[in-house]
Amino acid sequence: MASQKKLKLLWLQSITCNGNTHSFLNYPDLATLLSYFEFVYHPVIETPYTIEEVAKGKLECDILILEGSFREEGFTRGRVEVSKIFTAYAKRAKHIISAGTCATFGGIFKAYDPEYISGFIFDGEERTARYETYASKLISLPGCPIHPKWLSYVLMMLLKEKPIPIDELHRPQELYGITVHTGCTRNEYFEWKIDSKGFGLKEGCLFYEQGCQGPYTRGSCNKILWNDTSSKTIVGTPCFGCTEPSFPKRALYSTKTNMGIPATMPLGVPRRAYLTVTGIAKSFKIKRFEERIITYDH
Amino acid sequence: MIIRELIEKIEGEAELDFTFNEGKIEDVQINFGFYRGMEEILEGRDARDALVITPRVCGICNHAHLITAVKAIENGYENAGLKVALSPKAKAIREFTLSCELMQNHMTWFYMTILPQLEKLTGEISTQNYALKASYFSSTVTKAMSIFSGQWPHSSYAVPGGVTCDPSYVDVMQAENLIDECIRFFEEMLTGLSFEKYLSLNSLSSLGSVEGDLGKALWLIDKNEMAEAGQSHDRFIVLGDSVLAKPGKAQATKVSNVALRYVEESVQTGTTAKAVSYKQKLYEAGPLARAIVGKEPLVKSLHKRYKDSIFTRVFARVHEVATLLVQSKKLLNALQLDEPSCTLGKMLEAVDFEGEAAVEAARGSLIHKTSVKEGKIENYEIIVPTQWNLSHGNEKEEGVAVKAMVGSKTIQDATFIFRTFDICSVCTTQ
Repeated sequence: MASQKKLKLLWLQSITCNGNTHSFLNYPDLATLLSYFEFVYHPVIETPYTIEEVAKGKLECDILILEGSFREEGFTRGRVEVSKIFTAYAKRAKHIISAGTCATFGGIFKAYDPEYISGFIFDGEERTARYETYASKLISLPGCPIHPKWLSYVLMMLLKEKPIPIDELHRPQELYGITVHTGCTRNEYFEWKIDSKGFGLKEGCLFYEQGCQGPYTRGSCNKILWNDTSSKTIVGTPCFGCTEPSFPKRALYSTKTNMGIPATMPLGVPRRAYLTVTGIAKSFKIKRFEERIITYDH
Repeated sequence: MIIRELIEKIEGEAELDFTFNEGKIEDVQINFGFYRGMEEILEGRDARDALVITPRVCGICNHAHLITAVKAIENGYENAGLKVALSPKAKAIREFTLSCELMQNHMTWFYMTILPQLEKLTGEISTQNYALKASYFSSTVTKAMSIFSGQWPHSSYAVPGGVTCDPSYVDVMQAENLIDECIRFFEEMLTGLSFEKYLSLNSLSSLGSVEGDLGKALWLIDKNEMAEAGQSHDRFIVLGDSVLAKPGKAQATKVSNVALRYVEESVQTGTTAKAVSYKQKLYEAGPLARAIVGKEPLVKSLHKRYKDSIFTRVFARVHEVATLLVQSKKLLNALQLDEPSCTLGKMLEAVDFEGEAAVEAARGSLIHKTSVKEGKIENYEIIVPTQWNLSHGNEKEEGVAVKAMVGSKTIQDATFIFRTFDICSVCTTQ
């Protein structure tokens, strides 16, 4: 299928759970994608070099894919400090993709040692000292884990040398320009401010009680579905904001409220606007939204 | 003479120090590096945050962590006096999604670890892209699971009292179709037999009819004269209650009861991984243990001839996929969607409780213990399956994987034996 020279990918890990690796491996179009690229190294796929050979920092690579939270000292791969390996290849590669929230912002493992653990180029949403050196090459793909299609999109755009519009945190706008709320099957309930009466129901919005962060989390989970089939909010699980620099926040299954109103507003919406709309929506009682969608007869 | 070998592509890496004596391996020291502090990250958080945090222990068995975490909270609620009664629907959906994760894991391990390593070991290198086969099966089965769990990896759809999803029969039909596709893969790629024919196999001699990639793997093990290699204590443990086996332990063929209170965790020197034992004895956990404790006829037939060798161990893990496919179909078919998905309305938030649970994850028994004060986690303990298999052992006996490797003549043979335990580095160094 692919006739041109394949681009060389180098996938390196630091402090990680391997979630991005396995999310990628579950990409239904993996065969097609891999016909355009070759892996110099991948953490689970068979590749031509051992990690010890990779760790010497001398191999050729076009695109460096980083997975896992970063620390300067104390974490090795192939018996070499990852900071040394990352730096060596970050210099050689034409592009750097931080795959997942850990590699991008520090993520979940940052919580163990916040002072020393961060993303490779960002620490939360702050720029690290490495930013100036590598910013021109960087694409951020936060998410815990990444969706394989997000990575596939970036790789194919780089292959075709097409521009990828990004935001100030280097996230592609196509993927992070919208919120997780976009496309959620519960949108009608959000519009009319109908909360879900508990977990395990098709009906109701999870923003008011169950802690859903979808309206203020950047991501395309309800547009580019997970495993090509679903998403957290579709199956009644709140969005936990896993693509955000603040992930993981606390008390994830309940909504923090002020005077009964969610404490965090939908992205960019002024509180006054939200309250006005809510006041109007709540002044109507609409029977359909109080009923179950499916009733089973016995 | 001690030779240090770095083992990679085991969901991270480990270093093994092999001590040789007269051309044979006499001892192995297994070292895991970096500790990520998962248990500390949980301290001070809301009890239910464990449902989001603990799956991130592991990218390949994250769902087992979720199910164990939710059961530990439910156990805690019960200990605090709240009755937790799941609907049969919620119970079945949890079992189904967990079964899907096990199948995903086993096939990924078989295609991405066992087959390529066996080919290297025997010099029978093929041009097959095993990663794509693994990916095809895995993406199909995780899609089936995501219909209920929303996504894989890292779903958090199980909550105290049930599950967050409220599926329709359209969803169930889609999941059934995807499981049928997995069965087709099992027939055409893995065994070269119709599923019915495969399920009718009942003895070691009938295994000769298995073709496909499983037939190839069994043939390569035999060709390399490794069918009897990798035997260990022949002692097995199952602590979780699953569609595969009830909890129990087995010494050779004798099965007896188990209780979580006899599980002991201890710090080992030179590695960040802790050892785990049951009444100070070391047990193998995982698919082979489930098959022996659950008295699975075909695996028992192999075990009778080869004991707990790599032949039995590799076969047991792949065979478990067949059992899980059968069980998955049954679980989906029996779902009554008019039952509630979640039976707990209000969560016990600001209370004190202690809860624990064991679940059968892909690699064996996974244990979570949570101590909660005023709704916040005060202490969280995780014991992962790999700890059972990779403990160094104690004064009395060698660890399970260590004993299996001792006596090997080459590092290549020993590391292959090591990999038959389906090592997960990230779990071990949570």
